[in-house]
Amino acid sequence: MTIAENLFENLRLELRRGCLTLAVLAQLRVERYGYTLRKALADDGLVIDESTLYPLLRRLEAQGLLASEWREEEKRNKRFYRLTPDGERIFAQLLGEWKAINASVTATLNSTTNAANNGAL
Amino acid sequence: MELLDRYLESVRKHLPWQRQDDIVAELRANLESQLEEKEETLGRPLTQAEAEEWIKQLGAPIQVAAGYQPQQYLIGPSLFPTYRYVLKLACSWAMIIGSIVLVVQVFASQNPSASALFGALLSLPSVLITAAAWVTLIFAAIEYAVAQGHLKLPAMCAPSPGWTPSSLPPLGQNVAHGKKPRSLAQAIAEVVFGILFLGWLLLVPQHPWLLMGPGALYLNASPFQLADIWVPIYWCIVALNILQLGWNMQNLVRGTWQKPHPVFNLVLKAVGLIPAILLINAPNHAAFLLKHPAIDHARYGAALDTINLYILRSFQVIIALVVLQLAWDLWQLGRDAYRKREAAIV
Repeated sequence: MTIAENLFENLRLELRRGCLTLAVLAQLRVERYGYTLRKALADDGLVIDESTLYPLLRRLEAQGLLASEWREEEKRNKRFYRLTPDGERIFAQLLGEWKAINASVTATLNSTTNAANNGAL
Repeated sequence: MELLDRYLESVRKHLPWQRQDDIVAELRANLESQLEEKEETLGRPLTQAEAEEWIKQLGAPIQVAAGYQPQQYLIGPSLFPTYRYVLKLACSWAMIIGSIVLVVQVFASQNPSASALFGALLSLPSVLITAAAWVTLIFAAIEYAVAQGHLKLPAMCAPSPGWTPSSLPPLGQNVAHGKKPRSLAQAIAEVVFGILFLGWLLLVPQHPWLLMGPGALYLNASPFQLADIWVPIYWCIVALNILQLGWNMQNLVRGTWQKPHPVFNLVLKAVGLIPAILLINAPNHAAFLLKHPAIDHARYGAALDTINLYILRSFQVIIALVVLQLAWDLWQLGRDAYRKREAAIV
C-alpha cells in the first residue's frame, strides 16, 4: 500500500467510525441479534466486518446505550440487542448533529463547486 | 463444523477471561447463522476449501479477540498534554540540579580533574532518563486509576482551566532578536575593535603592563613567574582572535553581516575552550612557578600551590559552564533546524 493509499484508508476509517455507530443505533431501534443486524446494515449499503461490529455492540452496551438479552430463536440461543431509553435519547441527539454536519458539508461543497466553476469560466 | 470450533477456540484464548464464554457463545450463534444461510443458498454444505476461505475472511483469531479488549492507553489523550508539559519541566530541572550536584561532587572529591568532570557530565543522561521514567510511571498510574474509575481526572489536567488571553506570556527575547538584523555600523565596529584588540594582544608579551597594569611590576618583583604553558595559550588566543576578525571581515565584504552564522558562533565557542583546556592540563597543574625554586620553595611553596589550585578549579568551573552552554546552544540549533525543515515540508 502506498503512502497516499494508506493515508486515504486511515481518513476513510476515521470518517466511517462515527457513521457506523449512528447506523448501528438507528438499526437497533428494532431488536436484532448480531448477524441479522450485520445483514440489515449490508442491505442498506453499509458493509461491516464481524470483527468490527460485534465488539462495537459490546462497547455500546457497556456505555448504557444498548441492552441485550439471550433468547432462543430457531432452536439456537442468540443475543438480541435494542436501544435503551438513554440510547434513544443520545441517538436522537447524534442524528440531529449528523444532519447538521451533512447539511453544512453539502452547502460548503455546493458553494466551493460554484466558485470553482465561475473561476474556470 | 470442526473448523469453526477450532477457530472459536483460538479466539477464546485471546479474550478477556471473565467474558470468554459469553463472547464465544455470541460469536458462535452469529457465525452459525451466517454459515446456515450460506449453505441454504448453495443447497449443500460448504466444501473444505470454501469453509477455509470463509473462516479466513473473518480475520485472524488474535485480531478478532483484540476488538473485545477495552481500549487502554499507557497515557491517554486527555492526560498526554499535561504529561508532556510536566516531563519537559522535570527533565529541565533534573538537568540543572543534576549538573550542579555533579560539579559540586567533582570539586569536593580528592582529585578533581578535567577527565573526572567530563565523566560526571556523561552520567547526566541517566539522571534525565530516571526523571522521565518517574514522571511516566506516575502518569501511567493516574491514567490507570482514571480508566478504572478509581480517580477523577485531576483539575490540573483539564484543558487549561484558568486560561485567559491576558495571562499569555510576553514574546521571548529570542523572537525579538531573531527578527532584528545587525546593523552595518555594528558590523564595522566589530571589525575596527577586533583589529585594535588584536594589536593590543600582540603588544602584551613585550609590554605586560598593558594586561596587568601595576600588577606587572609586582609580578616582576615577586618570586613567581608564568609557567611555560602560557606561551601556547597566548598564541591560541591570538589565533582565535584572528579567526573571528577574519570571519567578521569577510561578512562585511560579502554583505552578510546582518545575521550572524549560528554554526560559526558555536564553533568559535567550542574552539574557545582550547586555551582553558590547555591550562588545566598544564604539567602539575602549574599556571605559575617559582623563579628560584631551590631558594624560595620553603617560603613560597605552599602559597604557590594554593594559587595554582584556585586557578585550576576556577578554569574547571568555567569549562563546565561553557560545555553546558554549548550543549544548550547545540540543542537550540538542532531545534531551529528541525522547525525550518518541518515548515519547508508543510
